[in-house]
Amino acid sequence: MTCYSFYIFDRHTECIYSKLWARQDRPLSAGIDPSSIPASNGGAQSDLGPARARPARLSAQDDAKLIFGTIFSLRNMVRKLGGPDDRYIHTYAHTTGNGPRKWEKMLIQRNSFISYRTGQYKLHYYETPTSIKFVMLTDTQTLNMRNVLHQIYVNLYVEFVVKNPLSPVEHPGGVGVANELFELALDQFVKGVL
Amino acid sequence: MASSQPIKSPMGSQSQNQRSSQQGLKYPSNGKTIYHRPLNRSRTQELSQASFAYLFGEMVSYAQKRVTGIQDLEKRLNNQGHPIGLKLLDLLLYREPARSQTRPLHIIALLQFITTTLWRHLFSRPADALEKSSNPDTPEEYMISDNEPLVNQYISVPKEMNQLNCAAYVAGIVEGCCDGAGFPAKVTAHSVGKGEEGELWPGKTVFLVKFQDEVVEREAFLGR
Amino acid sequence: MASASKAARIGEEVWKSRVDKVNAELVTLTYGTIVAQLCKDYESDYVEVNKQLEKMGYNIGLRLIEDYLAKSNTMRRCTNFKETADMISKVGFKIFLNITPTITNWTSDSKQFSLIFDENPLADFVELPDDGRAQDELWYSNIFCGVLRGALEMAQMQVEAHFISDILRGNDSTEMRITLIRYIDDEMPMEDD
Repeated sequence: MTCYSFYIFDRHTECIYSKLWARQDRPLSAGIDPSSIPASNGGAQSDLGPARARPARLSAQDDAKLIFGTIFSLRNMVRKLGGPDDRYIHTYAHTTGNGPRKWEKMLIQRNSFISYRTGQYKLHYYETPTSIKFVMLTDTQTLNMRNVLHQIYVNLYVEFVVKNPLSPVEHPGGVGVANELFELALDQFVKGVL
Repeated sequence: MASSQPIKSPMGSQSQNQRSSQQGLKYPSNGKTIYHRPLNRSRTQELSQASFAYLFGEMVSYAQKRVTGIQDLEKRLNNQGHPIGLKLLDLLLYREPARSQTRPLHIIALLQFITTTLWRHLFSRPADALEKSSNPDTPEEYMISDNEPLVNQYISVPKEMNQLNCAAYVAGIVEGCCDGAGFPAKVTAHSVGKGEEGELWPGKTVFLVKFQDEVVEREAFLGR
Repeated sequence: MASASKAARIGEEVWKSRVDKVNAELVTLTYGTIVAQLCKDYESDYVEVNKQLEKMGYNIGLRLIEDYLAKSNTMRRCTNFKETADMISKVGFKIFLNITPTITNWTSDSKQFSLIFDENPLADFVELPDDGRAQDELWYSNIFCGVLRGALEMAQMQVEAHFISDILRGNDSTEMRITLIRYIDDEMPMEDD
């Protein structure tokens, strides 16, 4: 399993965090200018997955906009097609907090959009009741990452961003999300899961 | 005990009764006032650590808007901790068993009270170390270390502010405690979680307690 | 009511097993020093102090709701405002302050209710200044109003909250009034050219 990229969007539809992971298994694909890649993405020398492997070069910002547009439309479409079905179904997630971890039931809305797959990558989606949207792009073989996104929200975002008093309450332009603790923990967590 | 400055020290109940007919504070008719609650009631009560983190966070960001620099910010946090130290000194001594219910008379006794009784009360564990400065030129300096201060738990200090240590609030509490006990001092918080030791305790903080000269003089005199 | 007892169960369970705890007096005293500082900065202009406390609470609410959702694991929206009230009292207040204020005085349109605080950890040890004004003007726990406004706004509910009585003012109870103004729609992305 490989994780290509990860995005967080806030309730104002703004991308407040994005991270691209370098892919180890393939040589640099043509057409990508390493200098155009933001510094936080680790090894800039390798292929960055489908998020970047397009002939037309888009900035990271444009990537994020495209992704938001996609998930926003998909989510609304899924809701419309599914009808006004606000029932919830149970899925399973890790418990958080102290003590040993165990799997626990968690409610999700029946008609919510969870993921989509193309021949090249899979996009996983998770939205909190506060309208924060978590998106992860992985290879096509990866199983359901919804719980992983939920855990990133609960254990990393809430702990290191929300509770950090030096980070602003809201994050226009992504201010305050990419702090050291969060970045470190996210990187470790994603490496640990995959 | 009052928790903050807008709250006056409890007035004698006599004067209260005399005044209540004309002016002064109003009280609920069911008598639910602070004087009817045992002072020890909240001694072992617990609240969520998150609540503290949010309040402390707002305190820091409110202070941030009104200061000119990091030193100024730390000074302000220190000032806000100070009255709490004063009050906790009284409250915690009052709660000690009768035989040890005395004010500390020596520097060491005071610092031990701070690193054990006060620390345990506030953070549920004693401080990690108490040392005297080994420099003969600064006999007035003592150091209290805390490997991971509870108040800093959720704080990730950005690089451009790496001098900041929000435990200045705790330094203020310690300072208030020293001042209240008659050992006037200046207390500052310093991050020392760097280098080898930093790997184990990146948030390690040393509280530098600098007693005023007269305290050291008095101590020397008493020692003789 | 089913939702009320369920909320109570969630609140108890989360408080017992998933909440890191600190000494209550640390929180109480810290809040005290915050109010004291505001009174000093605004030179005892209590109306302004109330406003500032509400603003701080609002900021806290915006953050706290995330923590609340993460801890309570109730990853869904409430179906109606009554359920919201139950969750506020029995889960929200429970897991952050270990109290469950009483819900009462609903209006017939189910858009307005009161919370009565029998216990209020923030106001432990507190007596308002005897300056002839504080008891008429200062709402010591006004931060709660902001917390509710911020937290519910994040959950797409616009509410208005204010205290109507406070034991610290010499009233017989501490009561807060909460009104649902509207449900907020999703924000739309800005049109790109």
